[in-house]
Amino acid sequence: MKKYICTICGYVYDESSGAKWDELPNDYKCPICGAPKSAFKQVEESPAKTISSPLDTENHNGIDNFTTLTAGEISAICSSLAKGCDKQRLLPERDAFNKIAEYFKAKAKPENSKAFQDIKKMVDYDLEINFASATEKAKSNSDRGALRSLVWSEKASTMCRVLLDRFNKEGEGLLKNTKIYVCDICGFIYIGDTPPEICPVCKVPKSKILEVERG
Amino acid sequence: MPAFRNVSMCGKDCMCLYVCPTGATDTEDSIIDVNKCISGCSACAQACPSGAISIVPESYPPQQPKSPEVIATQRKLAYSKAQQWQAAEAIAATTDNPITKQFATAIAASNLRMAEDILRESGYMLPQSNEARKLLESLLEYEEPGFPKGAVDLLLKKL
Ligand code: SF4
Ligand code: SF4
Ligand SMILES: [Fe+2]
Repeated sequence: MKKYICTICGYVYDESSGAKWDELPNDYKCPICGAPKSAFKQVEESPAKTISSPLDTENHNGIDNFTTLTAGEISAICSSLAKGCDKQRLLPERDAFNKIAEYFKAKAKPENSKAFQDIKKMVDYDLEINFASATEKAKSNSDRGALRSLVWSEKASTMCRVLLDRFNKEGEGLLKNTKIYVCDICGFIYIGDTPPEICPVCKVPKSKILEVERG
Repeated sequence: MPAFRNVSMCGKDCMCLYVCPTGATDTEDSIIDVNKCISGCSACAQACPSGAISIVPESYPPQQPKSPEVIATQRKLAYSKAQQWQAAEAIAATTDNPITKQFATAIAASNLRMAEDILRESGYMLPQSNEARKLLESLLEYEEPGFPKGAVDLLLKKL
């Protein structure tokens, strides 16, 4: 049984749940993003899951306060709560959360060196280990909200990994003649001239899929 | 509970102008005038053919409880995503190459969105939640120059 991954959005076709890849019609399309069959590549069997975490994550299961959360996490919590306030039309509260988020963003420093390979190692570890354990816990606790966040970010992470690999190989060519967009809701990255009508991962309309400009 | 118009959905059909008893919906900047809006009315939201008006609640039920196991695994992932966000930000801030910078900025944005969403599903859904309050209270003891303590005070007072 083989698996094939869509290099556009990261969807994985698994032969064990249906027809053999070669038996699929030539006009088979990715059910997530509509990419043609030719955009898929075979997934190399990943080695046994013995990779070790590139991060020291052991101290991060405790109670929340500014000593147990990293500055980056506090920043992300506050920027997300700012959006919550914006939805509720609590504008001074929104601005206050954003101020705290900005403060901790400026404080936040990556633990390891700052190269794309380091990011690649972290996303590899997420995709090999972290998502599986989080998904298992979300399922056993029937936490569909957590499950939703995991389904979305696992797809967005797969896309990140695909693009980190491509950037590593193709360098600037990856973006030279095209644009890059990020879904403001789920983080899905799209490379192309115009974004899809709706996000292939979280289904938000394209007004929320934002271009990242150059320079 | 005041009415709120989502301007990007408003088709300018003007039903809300006809039904509003106070004229709160008829404003030059399209923002419904909360000072004129009558709590509990909701006539405009019911009449709007575009579904562009919603009634903003004044209070919210407690957020869905999260099991400690789920919190732990969500946090572990969020921590990793926050690290990837920061690493990508650091690349974007230090490179001279415009395409590298653009790519790193996209990777950073993607990871921040993921971190935010995963954290929301680890107990930080509502700004009014106990979890958010506890975090804010702990920040009262945070002593660093330049830290916007006023923002923490405001949030603890208003939320
Ligand atoms: S009724 Fe709805 S669509 Fe019509 S003007 Fe009012 S908000 Fe806009
Ligand atoms: S809720 Fe009633 S009073 Fe308030 S804006 Fe709508 S129609 Fe006017
Ligand atoms: Fe999305």
